[in-house]
Amino acid sequence: MNDLSQASAHAFQLLLSGNSEIWEIISLSFGVSFSAILIATPPALVIAFFLAFFQFPMRRALISLFNTFMSVPAVIIGLTLYLLLSRSGPLGDLRLLFTDKAMVIGQIMLSFPLLVAMAHASFQAADRRAWETAITLGASPARAFFTLMYEVRFGLIAAIVAGFGRVVAEIGCSMMVGGNILHATRNIPTAIALETSKGEFAQGIALGMVLLVLSLSLNAGVSIFQGKGELQA
Amino acid sequence: MSSLINFSNITISLSGKSILNIDQLDVPAHQCTLLTGRNGSGKTTLFKIMAGLLKPNSAEVHYQGLEMTWKQAKPYIQKDIIYLHQQPYLFDASVADNIAYGLHRLGENKAAAHKKVMQALDWANLSHLAHRSAKQLSGGEKQRVALTRARILSPRLLLLDEPTASMDTDAKQQTSLLLQRLKSEGVSIMISSHETHTIDHIADRHLHIENGQINTLERAVHSNKVTVLNTPKFNA
Repeated sequence: MNDLSQASAHAFQLLLSGNSEIWEIISLSFGVSFSAILIATPPALVIAFFLAFFQFPMRRALISLFNTFMSVPAVIIGLTLYLLLSRSGPLGDLRLLFTDKAMVIGQIMLSFPLLVAMAHASFQAADRRAWETAITLGASPARAFFTLMYEVRFGLIAAIVAGFGRVVAEIGCSMMVGGNILHATRNIPTAIALETSKGEFAQGIALGMVLLVLSLSLNAGVSIFQGKGELQA
Repeated sequence: MSSLINFSNITISLSGKSILNIDQLDVPAHQCTLLTGRNGSGKTTLFKIMAGLLKPNSAEVHYQGLEMTWKQAKPYIQKDIIYLHQQPYLFDASVADNIAYGLHRLGENKAAAHKKVMQALDWANLSHLAHRSAKQLSGGEKQRVALTRARILSPRLLLLDEPTASMDTDAKQQTSLLLQRLKSEGVSIMISSHETHTIDHIADRHLHIENGQINTLERAVHSNKVTVLNTPKFNA
């Protein structure tokens, strides 16, 4: 117990003193995850919209596929991507393995099915009259799509937050395709795993606290945002 | 009586069941047409096809001197025909922003759009609601905002699906007043309604939809007395 208190106190010290190594890891972690979500979100929203609003062959199969991929373990995605990016793999010439770009690709693959599935649920629950009203008032399909996204924004933001939460805390994929290289690909989860294995709990706890604060902030933000929506409805 | 738009050979089937099979549907200009029919008779489906929102199995359109398929006519009808749902959908924004929605496509600048919105609100006697959230309005207020939002775009034909359903007497009267004013401004209107007594005084023509086909009912203008003019065979 005493060790835990000492380690926690040390963790606070590390965070507050602006320890460059810790803040570099935090910055890389957020940079990679934000990039992944930023790239994955637009196509995911468009696909989700098409799945919800249009009938076409294989539609139901696609929905099932995205729902299934939502629960694929990060380490499986990591392994697949590792095999693709390794020197002997089909994408080996790109020399992306053990780079932050490979981590971004892995996190896109991880978040994409979740974003599609959750956004699809939001669009599915949307009032079809919103789309028809926008069109009958002369909006182009693109503008009507943005209008519809605004109407279901609470669900879409919840989907984006959930996607970010999934990738920022995943370890399997980042470890496999990033390699946990200091100053290059070490992010919060891989650093926690490494420091804990070395018995250096302070740094692990400090980074864990950052993830915890992030998680609480995101959830509080979504709750407040959704609360405002309920008041207006 | 000049024709605004003419639809012919409208057919649509949903889940293998024929919903509509209409040989001819002529919409006269500057007139109000009342469309009646049982629930599920295809009134809403017909309106959505006419407004370019629902693709029929087949339909030809004669509009502005052109003979077109429904697909070819879609851009024209979406520009000139506005459909209002039974319970109009207002976007999650203020009443003024809702009314301004369609003005974007006209390329209006902000000042001109604001002026138009204020004039439109004044026209509908809704100025006091300009900054209210549209989601907080009553059913009658929503209907009047939706009518104002449509009018500001100067449509040639308004398709109104049960505009006075589930309204109290006062709201019905106010909505009816706006419809009268729209008609007097030269907008062609087609209204589907069960409550014929509310709409009766502004309707010039009465159509009845049954078994997927349209019957024209002859009537003394603005009277309740109707007789069936033609009863086409149902061949679904």
